[in-house]
Amino acid sequence: MSETLKEEELKKELENKFAGSIYEIQIARKNRMWISVNPQDALRLMSFLKEKGYFHLSTITGFDEGENLGAIYHITDYYTIVNVRVRTPKTSPSLKTVRDIYPVCESFERELEDLFGIKIEGLPEGRNYPLPEGFPKGVHPLRKEVKLDELVKQLDSQKEGK
Amino acid sequence: MAKITIPLGPQHPALKEPENFMLVLDGEQICDATVNLGYNHRGIEKAAENRNYIQDIYLLERICGICSHSHVSCYIGCVEEIAKVEVPQRAKAIRTLVAELERIHSHLLWLGVAAYEMGFETMFMYTWRDREQVLDCLEMLSGNRVHYGINTLGGVRRDINAQQAKEIIKKINYLEERTKYYVNLATEEPTVLARTQNVGKLPYKVALERNALGPTARASGVKMDVRKQEPYFIYDKLDFEMITYDSEDVFGRVVVRVLELVESYKIIKQVLSALPEGAISVKVPWKIPAGESVFRYEAPRGEDIHYVKSNGSEIPERVKVRAPTLSNFQSIPYMLKGDYLADVPITIAAIDPCMSCTDRAVVYDAKNGKTRTFDWEELRKYSIEFYKKKGVNFSTK
Repeated sequence: MSETLKEEELKKELENKFAGSIYEIQIARKNRMWISVNPQDALRLMSFLKEKGYFHLSTITGFDEGENLGAIYHITDYYTIVNVRVRTPKTSPSLKTVRDIYPVCESFERELEDLFGIKIEGLPEGRNYPLPEGFPKGVHPLRKEVKLDELVKQLDSQKEGK
Repeated sequence: MAKITIPLGPQHPALKEPENFMLVLDGEQICDATVNLGYNHRGIEKAAENRNYIQDIYLLERICGICSHSHVSCYIGCVEEIAKVEVPQRAKAIRTLVAELERIHSHLLWLGVAAYEMGFETMFMYTWRDREQVLDCLEMLSGNRVHYGINTLGGVRRDINAQQAKEIIKKINYLEERTKYYVNLATEEPTVLARTQNVGKLPYKVALERNALGPTARASGVKMDVRKQEPYFIYDKLDFEMITYDSEDVFGRVVVRVLELVESYKIIKQVLSALPEGAISVKVPWKIPAGESVFRYEAPRGEDIHYVKSNGSEIPERVKVRAPTLSNFQSIPYMLKGDYLADVPITIAAIDPCMSCTDRAVVYDAKNGKTRTFDWEELRKYSIEFYKKKGVNFSTK
């Protein structure tokens, strides 16, 4: 019996159900799956995963690929981690909130807003997290165009201005 | 009675990272609570993208002063998986040894903090005295008490000799004896029971919904331990139990941690009695091939998870860290609701939060619009006095 039987079954099922929405799906090893999905179908995919027992959203990793920003949702049933990758163009980055499926997502999604400047549709207005109040508006430090020494200079000059 | 909102934090002397709780009180009872985080953002993920893989080991070790080995092991697990490095068995055994010493150090520290928040200062002194034994072991092995720097890509940096192993066993034997006493105290002492039973309730279902992790989840009966579910290092070859308890309250969290100490002693003895021979590290090139990986690790506070993406150079493209406390915070508002203000210190301490310190909390009185400043120490004293009036008293007077 193959070591990755469970993952292969899930892969088959997803390929049937989400043909056209998923443009990349691979099993890296036992307990690790990587899926790339169109943003408009991401919520449907995650609802389906939750029904299949993948109930635990461990965290969301934001990323910057140059033209695209995006997020990886690390979803698990405590054994297998399914990594769902969603991309959004840098010119108008926006993703829908997953709070109806995974209510614990709030702090993870605020990280995407603060650190990458991805607008999360449906996330209520709130305070900054994790950046402090008074952090320069429009600066999203984990974007690749933000260079560390320039950021430090900017923050220092802001401090001196006070 | 008018409802009163109390902001607690962001500064907190009892704990290690600043954050803020807004507590809405109806008399003595908490009817709502929200958590605000982010007072301690240091930009470590950005910094990691500007350093090479080796420098990042030392950077990530400094995420936390207690789980330093956890974060590095988790990060290294990602990098080694991407680079397809086969780590020698002896290195894995030494990593396991340090990991369990770290867990003992963390749990003993927590037991002391919890006892202190309850007003049981004798136990606080005892556990912190005993914790020195573990810190001595770590110092002997690595040269450091807290940031061990034992891990490197491809293995560990220091070997262990027979003399050191003997010394560690001696200290573990001593701690085993002491822990029997703590097990009795924690499970039978009536004052401890009065302060912890039915406090900070977190039912099984809520623990799952709210992403509770580690001992916090296991005390609500959730069977979740990465060491069992996805064994890393040499955990698949070791004989130990996953400790769970079903009381779903602070008492359960005490029991789980105390019994986990016993399991950690068992693990350490097994590791040292069958230490594999051979090299302690293999060479890993500076440049890591392009790839990505997610690694999970059971830190003392719960599952730690890291994501690393490499781009073929010697500097990582992206490093993402999710520490267990961020996940455990989601449960705090639920635990506090319906409890007394006097239960706040022990309930917050019971998730073993890795966050810092309350200097003051401002109390806002909605009735007369007055504010007054409260610090964590005052709140702790208030909680001890509150329970003394109910006959729960640790002092003999």
